[in-house]
Amino acid sequence: MGFQLLASRLLNPHFGSSIIVWAWLISTFLAAFSIGSVVGGWISNLPPRPRHRGQLAGILIAVITLAITALFGRTLLGLIEGAFEDVSTALLVSCLGIFFLPVTALSSFGPQCVQFLASRGTPPGKASGVVYGVSTLGNIAGVMLTAFVLIPHFHVSTLLYLWLGVAVASLAALVRLLRVPISAS
Amino acid sequence: MKIIRCCLGVTLFSANLIAADFVETYDTIYNSLTVERRGDLVELRARARGSEALESAVDLSDPLKLVVPYTRSLFGALFFQPKPQRVLMIGLGGAGFHRLFTAAYPDALLQTVELDPKVFELCQTRMEFKSTAKTPVALVDGRMFVKRDKQSWDWLILDAFRGGFVPPHLKTEEFYRECAARLSERGVFVSNLHATSELYYSDVKTLQAVFPQVVLLGVDGRGNVIACAVKYRTPVITDASQWPEVAALANPVFTGRLDLVALRREQIPIPTGRMRSARVLSDDFAPVEFLDALKSNNSDRKK
Repeated sequence: MGFQLLASRLLNPHFGSSIIVWAWLISTFLAAFSIGSVVGGWISNLPPRPRHRGQLAGILIAVITLAITALFGRTLLGLIEGAFEDVSTALLVSCLGIFFLPVTALSSFGPQCVQFLASRGTPPGKASGVVYGVSTLGNIAGVMLTAFVLIPHFHVSTLLYLWLGVAVASLAALVRLLRVPISAS
Repeated sequence: MKIIRCCLGVTLFSANLIAADFVETYDTIYNSLTVERRGDLVELRARARGSEALESAVDLSDPLKLVVPYTRSLFGALFFQPKPQRVLMIGLGGAGFHRLFTAAYPDALLQTVELDPKVFELCQTRMEFKSTAKTPVALVDGRMFVKRDKQSWDWLILDAFRGGFVPPHLKTEEFYRECAARLSERGVFVSNLHATSELYYSDVKTLQAVFPQVVLLGVDGRGNVIACAVKYRTPVITDASQWPEVAALANPVFTGRLDLVALRREQIPIPTGRMRSARVLSDDFAPVEFLDALKSNNSDRKK
């Protein structure tokens, strides 16, 4: 959600800060959460080797698309703004093209964490509650930190690189944590 | 007779109802607004941070009267572009500025951009503003309009407040450059600033990063400062003694409503001392809400 605040700062200079911008931005993030959860649930039930490949694919997609956002986000938004006269179409293309894939990829790890805990004896309901509880607390921390500390003191472009760095570190830790010995299958 | 008396009573009651004082509140897509009528005075106020900021006011008995002091200072643009034919105003409010402007310059185009449709509706229904071919109103984000509309303007006025502050994307160096590109050769960019927080120093520094010359007009007792900026270096506009004579700018409708002599004396210095530590606002760095929350003592605002 902290990334969503940054995304709004990226979009505003190109498309304003009207309710139309927020509607597309929030819907895109929710769609990404939704599809990411479904894909993550599917990956979590794969055998260990393809599951590991799925996790690596998720990491690659997240890192590459976050890097594209950090490096070329403003350039891409400028091109999209020029290419589409209709604001809603431009916003749809912008949100799908720039924010949808990284958020989908990151969201796919939630169900995998649930599966990880459940496979180690935690009841599925409790595992799900812990993962989504912790995830929501993380979102709150991300929003507050971004709104009250990061945006007031740092450039948005700097924060996008920071986001990329944090994503690389946390995904590396996560894939190590979720790793299942191939022989265990 | 009884029927006539009854009809007369209903008519008088209806007339009284139309002219009656009222206080109405509206939660629109973008604002929380209060519209209050007391006698002939109608005020439009924005509710934010536990208080109400006066956005606009109109005296229906004299609609040309500039009720809110800062709207008078917007006419300071006359000192730098005395013959406005094409004016773009970002932010409608209650159209307090519009009525005197159109009366003074009936042939000029005053294009307004307003984001909130409800503000436009209230402006028409409660504050009796009538949009005409000379005063069109576009319901769109101000920056979007400036980007997409390729016309040039003699005056470009930025007065777009949302709940007491200007949205960050209308405060940046990049946006000011877009505005500068839309000014005619001798055009003037006018911005309504609040000199009550640290944001003010970043605002002026950002204006100076884009416009070679910036003049500040301090509105007495209200915390508003009207910044006038131009994209040329000569002739010099920062020296008030070089400004056109008031007599040359006079207009019959200004009499009793706009004191250009007093307006000429409103120039205040650029707060260079406090601006040293301020940062230029850009699309990449515009913590407008944060800076606006840092209240300033404005010790160097007055001469």
